[in-house]
Amino acid sequence: MTGNPLIRLAEVTKVYHLESGDFTALDHISLDIGENDFVALMGPSGSGKSTMLNLLGILDVPSSGQVQIAGKDVARMTPLERTHMRRDSIGYIFQKFYLIPLLSAYENVEYPLILKYKKRDTTGRAAEVLRSVGFDEALGAHRPSQLSGGQQQRVAIARALVNDPGILLCDEPTGNLDRKTGLQIMDILCELHAKGKTVILVTHDPKISEYAHRVIELEDGKIAS
Amino acid sequence: MKDIFLDLSARSVRLNLLRSILASIGIVIGVVAISSMGMLGTNMQLEVKDQLSTGANTIVITPDTVRMGPPGSAPSSSSSSSDITKTVLGKIRIATGTSGTVIPIHRTNTQFTLGSVPGRASVYGLDPDDITKFLTIGNGTNIVGINDALVGSTIAGNFNLKLGSRIRIGSESTGQSVARIIGILDERGMSSDNINTDNAIVVSDDWYVNQYGGKDEYQQVNVIVKDIDTITDVETAIDTKVNTDKKTPTVRISDASSRLSSISSSLSTMTTFILAIGAISLGVAAVSIFNVMMMSVNERVQEIGILLSIGTEKGEVRRMFLYEAFILGLLGAVVGGASSLVMGYSVVSAMIGTTAYFFLPESLAYIPEGMIVGMVVCLVSGLYPAWRASNLDPIEALRSE
Repeated sequence: MTGNPLIRLAEVTKVYHLESGDFTALDHISLDIGENDFVALMGPSGSGKSTMLNLLGILDVPSSGQVQIAGKDVARMTPLERTHMRRDSIGYIFQKFYLIPLLSAYENVEYPLILKYKKRDTTGRAAEVLRSVGFDEALGAHRPSQLSGGQQQRVAIARALVNDPGILLCDEPTGNLDRKTGLQIMDILCELHAKGKTVILVTHDPKISEYAHRVIELEDGKIAS
Repeated sequence: MKDIFLDLSARSVRLNLLRSILASIGIVIGVVAISSMGMLGTNMQLEVKDQLSTGANTIVITPDTVRMGPPGSAPSSSSSSSDITKTVLGKIRIATGTSGTVIPIHRTNTQFTLGSVPGRASVYGLDPDDITKFLTIGNGTNIVGINDALVGSTIAGNFNLKLGSRIRIGSESTGQSVARIIGILDERGMSSDNINTDNAIVVSDDWYVNQYGGKDEYQQVNVIVKDIDTITDVETAIDTKVNTDKKTPTVRISDASSRLSSISSSLSTMTTFILAIGAISLGVAAVSIFNVMMMSVNERVQEIGILLSIGTEKGEVRRMFLYEAFILGLLGAVVGGASSLVMGYSVVSAMIGTTAYFFLPESLAYIPEGMIVGMVVCLVSGLYPAWRASNLDPIEALRSE
């Protein structure tokens, strides 16, 4: 850990109640992630990586135990407070980009600013962030379906960054990209880490995990190493 | 500032333009149905009220011919004659005094022949001096000789009558008498004094009695009061004087207000009924909008998941889908409102025959009312889909393809 604990998981268990019976996705996990950490979560399918990312992204709450982000217990927050924390403090980067198909590249980046400030961006912030991730400005008016995978991921990273969150959650960010573009995206994430962001990365790829300063291996819902 | 959620909704509507237009057509039909039917009903009421207002100062007295007897017994006639007798007429005159003019009226229905063309009409037998007190002769003169007759505007128009034409009144079985047409009455429409002369022949009381008998026996007596404010007092005086036995009254007494109230009530019921028929089409439209909105939610589950996962509030997602319903409603309401103006005008013109009342505020008010109802129906139809969208689990929504 290279800084103060920004995220703390204490005895976190997540159980899914399925028709076939209960499934424990995370089993008494305790973990601290400090500010400006660069962490890779690895493990086979079903090991609990996605569940952990959902808990860290406050999209879900644990069945037992405590998830604290910036000192706040997620389970004690109201749904609206969780929404605002997701909007302001956490940037989510997905494997499938998940851009809003009805909005242009520029509007996708502007969208979180509108959510936060309840008005269109007149400061040039969205354009500035798009430039900073190496997005070709001439493509700003294009819809996601008109962009390459690499360009879409750049837009997704810009969208995650635009509200200047402290935490970046990256779910297989290079999984849908060719090797060269994947490495470019990893360079961007490294640059963001160098600027002070806490980066948590889920990956299957050992080469990608080498970018991280700390690798956490999950297996059957427990930390293996 | 343009709302981003309104923008997203508008783009979704544009993306599925055909589907959106088809859904809005349901609202268009509903708005047109409600507005047109409402305008039709209102125009009918206004037309009837206007026509009835011509005899507003007239009390109509008719024999109370049929009364119900004790349970199980057959209805019986009030007297050997079912008409207003000379005695009753005298009492009416006394009760009225100088407050109004009493006009006794003979009336029946009959066949007539003009040239060789047969027809059917009402025949009124009146004292010639009384005729001009409430009827207007548009062409020709009042009855002078015993064989003179006036005809209503409908008969005159249908038979292309000229003054001086001969008309044979009565059927061959009951006997026919010839009268000479010396005047044509102005169109009167449905008047509140129960004298509808448009399809009628007006003859002198002497001619009537010669033809049909019934001297000093009248089917109706009208009292035209001098001051409309005294109409209730005169009615009460006549009732007191004539209907001495309250259980078996001799005559029925009514005036324009009671007749107007009765007719308005009937028309109002009819208007409500035809509005309900219009509302059925809006109900169908509501189902269509609901269906389109549910399709929109189901097709955009992943997009909703994205919105929720990056910090969009549930209320903002709800708003986005309600905007979409609002756009569909607005589209339908605006087109429906404009179509209602054209359709309503055509329907009123075809059904009532006049559009004199169409542009009055109480008639045109149905257009904005229909539009508002259409939009409210759309918004209500969008409530559940919007609620469902905002309550999706973002993790599940993101996983959906």
